Amino acid sequence: MAPPSGIDTSHIKAAAQKDFFELLLGVRGKKVLVLDKSLSGPLGSFLKFSALQEHGVDKIFWLEDGVADATQKNIVFLVRCNSKNAYAIAEHVKKNSKIPGQDFEYTVLFVPRRTLVCEKILEDEGVLGDVTIGEFPLHFLALEPDLLSLELDDSFEELYLRKDYTSIFYSARALMSIQRRYGLFPRIIGKGDCARRLADALIRMRSEEDASDSNLFALTPSSILGELIVVDRESDMVTPLLTQLTYEGLIDETIGIHNSKVELDAALVGPPQQQQQGGTQPSSSSAAAPASSQKQKRPVVLSSEDKLFENLRDTNFAIVGNLLNKVARRLNDDYEVRHQAKTVSEIREFVSKLGGLQQEHQSLRLHTGLAEEIMKHTRSDIFNKILEVQQSRPPQLYLNIFPIGASPQPLTSAKFWSQTVENLLQWGIKEPRDNILTPPRWIADLAAGVDPSSQHDAIEELIARNAPVEAVLRLICIESLVGQGLKPKDLENFKREILQAYGYHHVLTLDALEKLQLLQSRTTIVASGVARTSYSNLRKVLKLIVDEVNEHNPDDIAYVYSGYAPLSIRLVQCIIQKPLMTATTKGRRGEDGLNAGVNAGAGGWRGFEDVLKSIKGKTFDEFQRGEDKALRARNILNGQNEKKVTVVFFVGGCTFTEIAALRFIGKREEGRRQILIGTTAIINGNKMMRAAMA
Amino acid sequence: MTTDSATAGWEQVEDKYYRKILLYSTLWDADFDLSDYIVAGAPYGGALALYRDESKLQLQTRRGPQNAKSSIDIYSSAGKLIRQISWDKGSIRGLGWSEDEKLLVITEDGNVRCYFDLQGDFTQFSLGNGAEEAGVKECRFWSTGFVALLSNNRLIAVSRYDEPRPRLLADPSSLIQPGETIHAWALVPPSYTLSRHVEVFVSTGTTILIVDATEVQDQMLQNGPFVHISVSPNGKYVSLCTLQGKVWVIKSDFQDKLSEYDTEMGAEALPRAMEWCGNDSVVLAWADEVHMIGPRGAALRHYYDSWVHLIPEMDGIRMVSVEKCEFLQKVPDATEDIFKIGATSPASILLDAVDQIERKSPKADDNIQLIRSQLPEAVDACVKAAGHEFSVRWQKQLLKAASFGKSVLELYSSDEFVEMCETLRVLNAVRFYEVGLAITYEQFIRLTPEKLIQRLVNRQQHLLALRVSEYLRLPTDRIYIHWACMKVRLSKDDEDSICRMVVMKLTGKRGISFEEIARTAYDEGRGKLATQLLNYEPRAGRQVPLLLSMEEDEIALDKAIESGDTDLVFYVLLILKKKLPLANFFRMINDRPVASSLIESSARESDTGLLRDFYYQDDRRADGAHVILRESLEQKDLAIKMEKLKLAAKLLADSKEHVLEAKALDESAKLLQMQEVFEKDLQGERFVGDSVNETVFKLIRMGYSSRANKVKSEFKIPEKRFWWLKLRALVAKRDWGEIEEWGRTKKSPIGWEPFFNECLSAGNTKAASIFIPKCTNLPPADRMDMWVRCGLIVKAGEEAFRAKDVNALEILQAKATGAPALEIDRLLKQLRPNK
Repeated sequence: MAPPSGIDTSHIKAAAQKDFFELLLGVRGKKVLVLDKSLSGPLGSFLKFSALQEHGVDKIFWLEDGVADATQKNIVFLVRCNSKNAYAIAEHVKKNSKIPGQDFEYTVLFVPRRTLVCEKILEDEGVLGDVTIGEFPLHFLALEPDLLSLELDDSFEELYLRKDYTSIFYSARALMSIQRRYGLFPRIIGKGDCARRLADALIRMRSEEDASDSNLFALTPSSILGELIVVDRESDMVTPLLTQLTYEGLIDETIGIHNSKVELDAALVGPPQQQQQGGTQPSSSSAAAPASSQKQKRPVVLSSEDKLFENLRDTNFAIVGNLLNKVARRLNDDYEVRHQAKTVSEIREFVSKLGGLQQEHQSLRLHTGLAEEIMKHTRSDIFNKILEVQQSRPPQLYLNIFPIGASPQPLTSAKFWSQTVENLLQWGIKEPRDNILTPPRWIADLAAGVDPSSQHDAIEELIARNAPVEAVLRLICIESLVGQGLKPKDLENFKREILQAYGYHHVLTLDALEKLQLLQSRTTIVASGVARTSYSNLRKVLKLIVDEVNEHNPDDIAYVYSGYAPLSIRLVQCIIQKPLMTATTKGRRGEDGLNAGVNAGAGGWRGFEDVLKSIKGKTFDEFQRGEDKALRARNILNGQNEKKVTVVFFVGGCTFTEIAALRFIGKREEGRRQILIGTTAIINGNKMMRAAMA
Repeated sequence: MTTDSATAGWEQVEDKYYRKILLYSTLWDADFDLSDYIVAGAPYGGALALYRDESKLQLQTRRGPQNAKSSIDIYSSAGKLIRQISWDKGSIRGLGWSEDEKLLVITEDGNVRCYFDLQGDFTQFSLGNGAEEAGVKECRFWSTGFVALLSNNRLIAVSRYDEPRPRLLADPSSLIQPGETIHAWALVPPSYTLSRHVEVFVSTGTTILIVDATEVQDQMLQNGPFVHISVSPNGKYVSLCTLQGKVWVIKSDFQDKLSEYDTEMGAEALPRAMEWCGNDSVVLAWADEVHMIGPRGAALRHYYDSWVHLIPEMDGIRMVSVEKCEFLQKVPDATEDIFKIGATSPASILLDAVDQIERKSPKADDNIQLIRSQLPEAVDACVKAAGHEFSVRWQKQLLKAASFGKSVLELYSSDEFVEMCETLRVLNAVRFYEVGLAITYEQFIRLTPEKLIQRLVNRQQHLLALRVSEYLRLPTDRIYIHWACMKVRLSKDDEDSICRMVVMKLTGKRGISFEEIARTAYDEGRGKLATQLLNYEPRAGRQVPLLLSMEEDEIALDKAIESGDTDLVFYVLLILKKKLPLANFFRMINDRPVASSLIESSARESDTGLLRDFYYQDDRRADGAHVILRESLEQKDLAIKMEKLKLAAKLLADSKEHVLEAKALDESAKLLQMQEVFEKDLQGERFVGDSVNETVFKLIRMGYSSRANKVKSEFKIPEKRFWWLKLRALVAKRDWGEIEEWGRTKKSPIGWEPFFNECLSAGNTKAASIFIPKCTNLPPADRMDMWVRCGLIVKAGEEAFRAKDVNALEILQAKATGAPALEIDRLLKQLRPNK
């Protein structure tokens, strides 16, 4: 995941930091910071608590909890600009004004901008005069050099369930900031209604920018940026519903990754000194931290700064054990060197490397622990039953990355590092034999129209065994989406089962799923006549199911689901890997290079128009042109940059598997282009289901 | 500028030269008495505001009745009246300017008016914080804000005018001795303080207090009281004038005293005003006498015929009297090096060379040869000096010299020369007395060309502003907009032709906001013109606020939706909801999906009543029912909960598609009732809120199987699911006897494997093993595996034996040790008797 050379995303972090400190310095003296909880994660990704203290922040409180003490005169609110927060702030101010003899100075910083609505609310509540309003334009967060996210966790729910397009507006603003810096995307290509909205917003913002007074020169097409590909979550809902099978994807599925952070048992994390990035913990909760260290959860940042994780994150989980084992061996060999060190200089050389080795070791320990943690899930009956349904195959084949019987002892912090290494050395002796993962054949079966009721027993069993409701709903939704709706009788049956098993309040959940068009009966679909993504048409044409997958050395993106290629990414491939995809669709293998010249010139959706008809939502391909003179001047100045940066933006969120798949393509296409991924948020099937439950 | 000599008006103080430049003369009629007026001058050579000094008005009523009505008069530095603002809002306690030439007027009762365009348009705000009760005494201004002193000695600071937030500074009262007053005060602008917030120096008693937002610091001085305090433009130095007429200059940290000067007039004739001239000299003014004190205490004295007002600038001081406006400054170094008597700097030699050329003297070349090696610096110096020159003749002469020197050089970047020519052309244009902006080169650089253009626009000099903008390649949109606004306001033509004229001039220009022009038209009461103009606004979002105030609600809503900015849409909706009857409001949003979904999602959290009404009028019964269901779920009180449930179920029952949901809600009510009974019967266990499955599970785990069966039949739980529930509950109860008993049943709807698995994962291999023989549907190999997992290798062997699987037996043999091994051996032998 080398940072795209054309675009430097680190400036986003630096700018956010600078802006924020400037805002803080605008308030004189020590201050209390009152934070919107949903911002703590994003803030933590570029701020440290100590830095806040240096800028005069005395204490931090959650907006939800209220300010408990009144020691500081200055109170700074930092909140997202929604009306709920505005009301909460008004409440605070009004409550504090009743404290006699206290005089507060309020500053409200809205993220990412001050809005008319918030101001109106503050005005209506009669506190507008008491507060100074500012804004903190935090849009993109650079989670990785090649991954920008707006981290709008609710965007999926808002866009598709509530039909509230605020996140599209913010996405457009965020992309605008890129265009302002690097020039216009010469071409905007996409699929889906919300994607279309985003493209429209971008085009409109450009024309407004042209009409505005802020800069003198019109924006011109960039010589660094290639096309912008907008993928709408709605055009491919199935991908996130399937169980992600990459390492990072599985961590997200089982433990949950929030703003690149994962909450782990302190015992797993190891010595505390490395984990100070935690960032913005409110003082009230951190005060209690040291007391009970045993069951304490500690946030750990998962990022490419951890080299081991960078290598592991996008691999199929089946080979993670193997990779860990290899690293363990190498580490062990490196440690062994110390026995051979005879002369003083040899010893000194070893010692100089020791720091690096220990760091690597620390990271190895963390990931071994994490892998074990995940294994606890993957070896459970329920998890396997879920996979069983997805893969349409008989039970008893565990997703097991370590040979049975050789699995390591649980690590305690007391045991020193040698324990880990030795354990790992034991596992890898023979190739793990039980990790036979087959493709999610169920998709193929459903798409082919095979009667799905064969899996209904298994789903009902999951319900009876009180499997997580999200997991059950995900399966049923997959059936509805791929199989073009459920039979009315089956649907009713499932509904009854779910209501009785998980509670009648799920009437609302089921209704929401129906509104999302994730769960529908066949008759409604026929009656409504709304176009849907038709997997039966796409399965073969886009080769969604790949039966033979080599997890160790993948040759297709399908490895991320052990045999299913995410539709969303296939769409991207249709644009940027045209020869390859044409070969796939026409069934002509081995012609990759031949037609390249002819087809690549056309670009866009060319050649896949028919395919697109089977996918829900509008299709578009827009050019953004500028004055020829300016364009030519730019090209002369920058030279004809052959290697362009393609930005793939997901409206409504993307999964870690999709990111992995795009990185896989990026590596293949290294000579021609670089891929920068943008998204409104990172999601998974569980988050989608929870959106319906809210 | 009548004199030809470049050094005319120069005077030496200590080793430095100061010059007085006559900017404009005959500002007012001779009988105009400036001493009657409070005069405030805008920085950077800006406009002057005059207001009759009320304290003097009472003493001298000799003026005619025409002056009875008071007004604030705005003049240019050249004495040209720009605007007269009539004033009847009470006593003025503060009159000052901001750096972007906004006029601030502060009245005694704490009202602040900010006249932002020299044309009488203003915004208004109140100081609050008790200013009204205590009364404002005095105000001091800096480039972007001001501080007001109240009669109760509190200080209020305002640091910006676009969103003024008056805030109290720390209270100095505790450090002011009883009976003492504040003799004088001054402020340090935020950009020059360590804290980046304004600080105020207050003279009281013998000492000076430093007041900022949070604290008051006593400097513990012994030499007060001070009648004047003045802070240098760069904030580094402070000059203090004592009661004895002594002037001290100290550093602003109150550590070092730099110089002392005695006015020699003692306490009887204290100076009327004390201001800084640049950063190195202080100017004192009496009625008709002005002293300028140099860095080391030497002084220059000037005598005037009439009252002189001092207007400090960053690089000098403007002195305004009835007959003239002068600028006093230290001669810039570059200029001094060229012009001072006996100057031998390369630049002065270069200048002389030009003189020689004009006289066709060969000495010109000698001069050049003399300074050959320093020629580039000489050219630079001439360019720089030209910038500091007010006289066009000398500007030309210096630029000529630079041009000549440049021509001799082989390599020289002319950028600075060209830029200076351009700048001077602009400066000369704005210094012209009709415009009256007497700005120095340094002020121009600090002010920036954009702001200078804004000043021109404010003076209605649109054409000049446009020319300057184009000449300096700056954006022209603001000028066009301002022009159009003025046209809309003042033109007597009919609306159509105004519109045509404005559109003709403005279309195709970048950055034109028609919204702003339309708003002006609307404010002028030209509604039709406003609508016409608004249609030309390219940014949909911009049109919205004006459309709202024009009561064009529907168009406003549509434009907001078009803009894609949901905040704007929601804002319009909030306003409309308040304004319109509910039915009309709903009608307006019904056919606008973006609007209605915004209302839906916001009402979901905050206003369920509205949501219910909305669904009702749109006949969306299911959605309405769901709202009520949600309310029921949030309700703690069981009776209300049930009532809402029933209401929701009734709504749902009306529609055919929701039969299942309606039934589910009925069931839910039934479940609640049963759970209530259970809670009463079985003390200490909570049931309400559990699902059907959970209830059954709980009942079985507690051993109330008959009740569980009742729930089962009531809710028609299928056998399969019930068996699973029972199995899990019994395992959780660890009631192995019951499981074994139950296992005697002939047939299980879920097979026997789950029994095995559940028991095994609960850790009971014995209970698990019971079910292995019952799993007859599984292949023998699986059963063998099951036996092994229970640790019963012999049993596995028997299984293999029955299946006649020699291979499996051999594998088992390898695994087994001790007695089981013998047993397996025996079985193997039986299968292979011949071996």
